[in-house]
Amino acid sequence: ARGIQHTAVRQAHRKHEPDFHDKYGAMVLLGGAAMFTTVWGYVLTQLNIEWGFSPVGRITPREWKE
Amino acid sequence: MLASRAFSLVGRRSISTSLCLRAHGHAGIVKAEDYTHPAYVDRRDVPLPEVAFVKDLSAQQKALKEKEKASWSALSVDEKVELYRMKFNETYAEMNKGTNQWKTILGGVLFFLGVTGVILIWQKHFMYGPVPHTFSEEWVSAQTKRMLDMRVNPMEGISSKWDFDKNEWKK
Repeated sequence: ARGIQHTAVRQAHRKHEPDFHDKYGAMVLLGGAAMFTTVWGYVLTQLNIEWGFSPVGRITPREWKE
Repeated sequence: MLASRAFSLVGRRSISTSLCLRAHGHAGIVKAEDYTHPAYVDRRDVPLPEVAFVKDLSAQQKALKEKEKASWSALSVDEKVELYRMKFNETYAEMNKGTNQWKTILGGVLFFLGVTGVILIWQKHFMYGPVPHTFSEEWVSAQTKRMLDMRVNPMEGISSKWDFDKNEWKK
């Protein structure tokens, strides 16, 4: 603090009004995370998009000659 | 020492403007804009700003400033706090206090990344045609065996990842 004679100030805070982040920050964070996980969970698993993953380690080779 | 004390009490601004008036000595002087005067600032690396925070003192505050000229032990705690708040806006603790801004920022970022995912959903639904049959499991497995039989990319590619002796992918 700014000097020994001002130690009293530390106990006498002015009450600061809660700003937007204090009021809604947690809600925005959780809402955004929920939206993100649902949308991308759906996109990555249910939507049947061909992502083009490598066959290495994934595909068991099958006989092709007739 | 006494002169600087006078400066801090009265404020450098009023002395400099009165000096200017005396120097010019005629009417029609351009009023010095606020931003040209020394400014107050709440910064960790500026412990003593150039001016006090409260410039225009009420009668009560002026009386307190007079009392400050006497012995400081005569001041009550509340008066000391009032004098502090007249001179400074925020305490260091208030200045350094963290905020919850990161929650809003991170939440907003994740939300808009989710919007990107919605765009992908729209594309799949309205734009892409059906997935070609050459991507089906049976086709890809036959295709992979044929590539390995041909020894496609044996140095660093797909054939280098297959163990031809054990007939399995390399671990």
